[in-house]
This record gives sequence, C-alpha cells and structure tokens, in this order.
Amino acid sequence: MEPIRRRRFLTTAAGGLAGILATRVPPARGQQREVSYLCWNNFAPASDKKLAEIGQRFTRDTGIKLKIDHVSHMGPQQAKYASEVQTQAGHDLVEMRMHFPWLYEPQLVDVSDVVGELEKKYGKAISSAYEGAHVNGVWRAVPQYHGMFVATYREDLFKKASLKVPDTWEDLYTVGKELKKMGNPVGIPISQNYDSISTAGPVLWSFGGMEVDKDGKTVRINSPATAQTIEWYKKMFRDCMEPEVLSWSDASNNESIQQGKAGWIHNPVSAYIVAKQRKLVTADGINHHRSLGGPQGRHETDTPRHIGIWKFSKNVEPAKEWIRYLLGKREVYDEYIMSGDAFNLPVYDKLQDHPVLRTDPKYAALRGEGVQYHTYGWPAPPSDKVQLITNTYLLPNMLAKAVTGTSTKDAIAWAEIEMRKILAG
Amino acid sequence: MAVRADDIPVPRGRPRLAGRVREWLDQESILGPVFVTPALLLLVLLVAYPFLMALYFAMSNAFIGRPSEFIGIRNFVRLWDSDAFRQTFQNAFVFTGIAVAFKLVFGICLALLLNEQLWFKRFIRGAVLLPWVIPTALSTLGWWWMFNSLYSVVNWTGIAVGFMDPPGPNWLGQKYYAMTAVVTVNVWRGLPFFAITILAGLVAIPRELYEAAEADGAGPVARFWLITLPLLKPVLAIVVLFSTIFTFSDFNIVYVLTRGGPINSTHLFATLSRVVGIDTGRIGEGAAISLYLFPLLVFVVWAQLRFVRKQAY
Repeated sequence: MEPIRRRRFLTTAAGGLAGILATRVPPARGQQREVSYLCWNNFAPASDKKLAEIGQRFTRDTGIKLKIDHVSHMGPQQAKYASEVQTQAGHDLVEMRMHFPWLYEPQLVDVSDVVGELEKKYGKAISSAYEGAHVNGVWRAVPQYHGMFVATYREDLFKKASLKVPDTWEDLYTVGKELKKMGNPVGIPISQNYDSISTAGPVLWSFGGMEVDKDGKTVRINSPATAQTIEWYKKMFRDCMEPEVLSWSDASNNESIQQGKAGWIHNPVSAYIVAKQRKLVTADGINHHRSLGGPQGRHETDTPRHIGIWKFSKNVEPAKEWIRYLLGKREVYDEYIMSGDAFNLPVYDKLQDHPVLRTDPKYAALRGEGVQYHTYGWPAPPSDKVQLITNTYLLPNMLAKAVTGTSTKDAIAWAEIEMRKILAG
Repeated sequence: MAVRADDIPVPRGRPRLAGRVREWLDQESILGPVFVTPALLLLVLLVAYPFLMALYFAMSNAFIGRPSEFIGIRNFVRLWDSDAFRQTFQNAFVFTGIAVAFKLVFGICLALLLNEQLWFKRFIRGAVLLPWVIPTALSTLGWWWMFNSLYSVVNWTGIAVGFMDPPGPNWLGQKYYAMTAVVTVNVWRGLPFFAITILAGLVAIPRELYEAAEADGAGPVARFWLITLPLLKPVLAIVVLFSTIFTFSDFNIVYVLTRGGPINSTHLFATLSRVVGIDTGRIGEGAAISLYLFPLLVFVVWAQLRFVRKQAY
C-alpha cells in the first residue's frame, strides 16, 4: 500500500472538514446516536440493575448508545438539575420526582405526543402523575412510575395485643395509645423532612383542610379542619409517640420499625422491602394496611416519577425513542416494574392491577381501593410559590410548634402569615 | 589560517528573540505582572466572576432556567418578612459567636499543651489535625449517628454512667439541644485550625522573654497574660477573622445534622439559601440570603486587618 504523504493527508483532511462545515452534516462514522439519562438511585436497587440491562438491549436493538448516570435522590439531584439548566449542558433525559416539571417548565420539551401514545395503550395517567407532569396544558415529562405512602405496621404486635387494625386517623389514636404502652410507639415524623409533609398532608386533607386553594393564590390554612388536624397531632404526640419524632429524617421511621421500635409508621413499602432484603428479624412481622381515612375521605400522598427531556438536548428524538422503548413496550415496562419489588408501580389506569402486587400478599394494601392520591400542596397547582411552602416545611413546622407548646390558634396564625407572604412575593 | 569574524555562523532569529525576552524579563515592571497574571486570572475566573454573578442574581428576580430582571435591593428588603430568614439571621450570630469563642479558648489551651515537651509530640500534633482533614460531610455523618435518637451513643453512655435519665436529651429535636449539637461539631472540627495556627505563633515567641520574666519572679499566669497573650494578638486576630468567616458560612454540618430544624432553629445563611435557591429554584432570593452578611463581613475584615497592622508596627 502506498504510504500517505503529508501533503495529500493535509489536502484530504482540509477538504473533508470544509465539506462538513459547509453541509453541517457529520460523516457517517460520526453519526452514531447517543443519549444520556440522569436518574436517581432507586430505593429498590435491583431496579437500577434492570434499567442498565434494558439500556444495553435498547442499544443493541436501535443502535442508539445510552449512557445512564445515577444521582442520590433529593438534595444532589436538585443541585444537578439546576446546574444543567443554568449551563445549558448535561444529560438529555432526566428523571424527575413529583412536581419538578413545574419548576423546570420552560426548559423541558413538550412530550405530549409520547404520553398520548402511552395513554392510548395503557389508559389515562393516574391523577397524581397528571398533577405533577401536566403543566399548564402540556405534558412536560412522561409519567414513569410511582410509589405511594401506605400504613405500615407490626402485624405480629397487633395480634399479640389483640389490637384492631385502624381504618381512620382516630382509630390510630386508639391503638397508638396501646402501642406506646407496649414500648412500640407510633412513628410519624414532625420535623423538617419530606416524610413529615407526606403524613401531614393526608391527615389535613382527610379532615377537609388544605394549605392553598386550587386557584394557587388563596391561603386556606386557617380553617376548622386545620385546627382539628393540629388537635389530632397534639394528642398523638402526647399519648402515642415519643419526642424523638421532632428530630427525624426521612429514613428514621423506616429504621425505627425495622429495628423493632415503632409499631406503626406511614411510609411507602420500602421499609418492608429493605427489612426483607436484609433478612431483619422484624421483616416477617411487618405488614401494610389501607391508608387511613377521616371525615372528608381517604387521601394519601403519592410520589410519582417522570422522565423529562431538556430543551437544550440535541438528541430529542433518540431520547423519545428510549422512553418509548422503556415504557411503551409492555413486556419491557412490566419487566422494569417487576424489578422494583412493588416500590415502583405503574402510573397508567389499565395497569393498576399489576402482577407485581401479587408477588407478596403484603402488597395487597397497595391496590389503594377508595383512596385519593395527591402530591404535596394539593389542591393548589405546584407553582414555585406553592413549592416554597413545601420546601420551607411550613406545614410540619406549624405542627411542631403546636405539639411543643404553641397554641393551636397561634400556630395556625403563624403558618397563615408565612404562606401569605410567600404567595404575595 | 586566520578566521574572520564574518565567517563565524551567527544563529539568526531565535537567539535574538530569546535575548530580547530575557531583556524584557530583567525589567521588574514586566516580570512582576508576568508572575502575577496566572494568579490574577484564577482569582478573576474562580472568585470575582462567581461573586459578581451572585451579586447580580441577588439583585434580580432570577429563577432557574427563566429570564430574569434587575430589581435592585428588593430581595434583601423582602427577606425580612420571612420568619425563617429572621430566625436564620439570629441563628448565624448565636452559632458563630459561641463556636468561635469556644474554639478560641480551647485552641489556646490546646496550643499551650502542644507547645510543651510531650512524648510522641509529632504524632499528637498530627492526630490533632484529623478533624480538620476528614471531609466534613463524612465526619458529620458520624456525629449524626452519635446524636441520632435511635442509636445515640452519647445518650447510651450518659444513661449507662447515670449521668442522664432515659431516654436522654432529644439532641436533634429540641432547639437548644440542636444548636448545642451543631456548635459542638463545629468546635470539634475547627479546633485544629486554631490550635495549630496559635502553636505557630507560640513557637515564634523568643524564649528569652520568658527567662527574663522568670528571673523577675513572674509565675505561669503572669507570663501568659503579660507575654504570651500580647504577643499572640496578631495571630489570634487573623485566626478569629478566618474562623468567623468560615463559621458564618458553614453549610455541611447543619445540612447533614439537622437540615435547619427543628422549626428552623439551626438554619444558617448557606442552608436556607440552598432551600430557597436550589430546591425551589428562586436563585435570586437564594443569592440574596447568602450575600446578606457580606457588608458586615467586609467591615469585620477591614477592622481586624487594621488591628493587625497596628499590632505589627
């Protein structure tokens, strides 16, 4: 073979480069499509392994290279989103929890076409997914899965003490008193964490209360329902719980029931899943029951997850192809959901009675019959102001003030003033 | 054979250029800026630019990913309406005041101890630095376990030795205890910085002064008050200055230990700024929170440096 001379190499390279620049089309070899996907570390680790496996199959089947990165949930995730948006660089796809699509609305691609296809196949997206990802009439992210809160209790202790499984928040007070006497108090956090809001919301909604009206502008915290909620928390704190709940993090209630202390907590099934995986002695005794109700119905916190595509992405179509592959192929979606061990549940109507719920009799409560699921701040649309109310923990702080000595009236007045200021700002 | 000067090949171009460069660099007015430029570039890129961006954000209604407008000092004024901010303002002074005072007193004591002839002196001096060297988030996680209501080794020990009644203090759930916990961890972490810096100051004090004082009959307390402390003043001023700035802007300890709770009683400017700026996307307000104390800190820096200069001359 004749060696390439320097002059010829330079001429060919310069000609090629000029061609690429003139036509703005890269050569065939440089056209391999690639998408990057930022998702959080799933509470069910097997789900992350399955995702990687599905990703490899996707690359094989479509020729699109998929790079999956994981980030810890909550704190680092938000900082990562912010930096990617500010620099207009980073991943193509991002996993978003709850109402994040509202915060990043102008930066997210309209994915109504993909959601439309999925809804045609699987039925409408569930209400909480709609609340979180359908922003001002446009789907800004594709509903992926959800993990709702449920009542988690030590069934063995209940049986031993012949306690009736509670059906309402008032019933919980009745059994809670007995549980505390047994040394297994109720574990509901009243601190600056998201689990505190996840319980305070359903209690407030079940009594008929709300923080902000559905217009997103009118503060409604000052109501008899809020007063009832606070009174319920006060007696629960006094008779059924221990002061430690004022210091709890999101993981503390899980740890408390797993380590054999708490007799009842309000949490997704992750507490049970982890106890089972780690073969803890408490695992067999833990079970779940239907979410509790109040005078105004049975409400529950839901934590839907969605997949969004940044507008700055240069690979919008390949990114949509990945979403269609993961969620649009029934067998792939089923495989993904099954890997989550009932922590990740499908978000479309026709899939609600999913086989994953039959993998363990203790998941029966997850069918959620007669339960209305919402995200934080409901019924207000999750604007940035409503999310600031959530993120500054006004609801749990109002409760914490009340259970530590502030009068119900003053605690409500404090929360009302703070919420009004945020909405006015 | 005689060689004419014209016959000797003279290297052209490069040596002439090299010579000219050497000539330039011999001039102090050129060499100085050459040396300073890289550092200046780093300062501009990594300090000045982010600072100016933060200043702009603080005076705008910036929201992540959306266009923003200049709104002057409205963010700074409006923050006073927030109970969480007012609480944070108070917390920052309480936290910094108590923590710096403890670090100063304990730092002097530790430095005096380390200045004595101890066995394994080098090893002990190295070990003292450990809290300063370990990543803060990691060490604070260890403290979180120690204060955790379910696993607290502090309470377990206290109860075991009869010092506490079960279940022991609710370290992270009661506001005064929570502040005590975050201050404790900050003192633990910041103490080596004080001790080692003060030790450097102690070593520099001439021994003759102590010998002369001893000859005049001065005891240890008199020697400390009349020699050690006055001569340490410039070092103490610098160390207090740095620590005040670091402590006011602390983030990791509060974020890991309490996340600002209970009821915002341990929030500091950095942690509240994160909640508002990053978690909720309101970077304008978040930047205003983090810059709130900037004018005050500038004044503190100016006053302390002035004091140091007076001490030095």
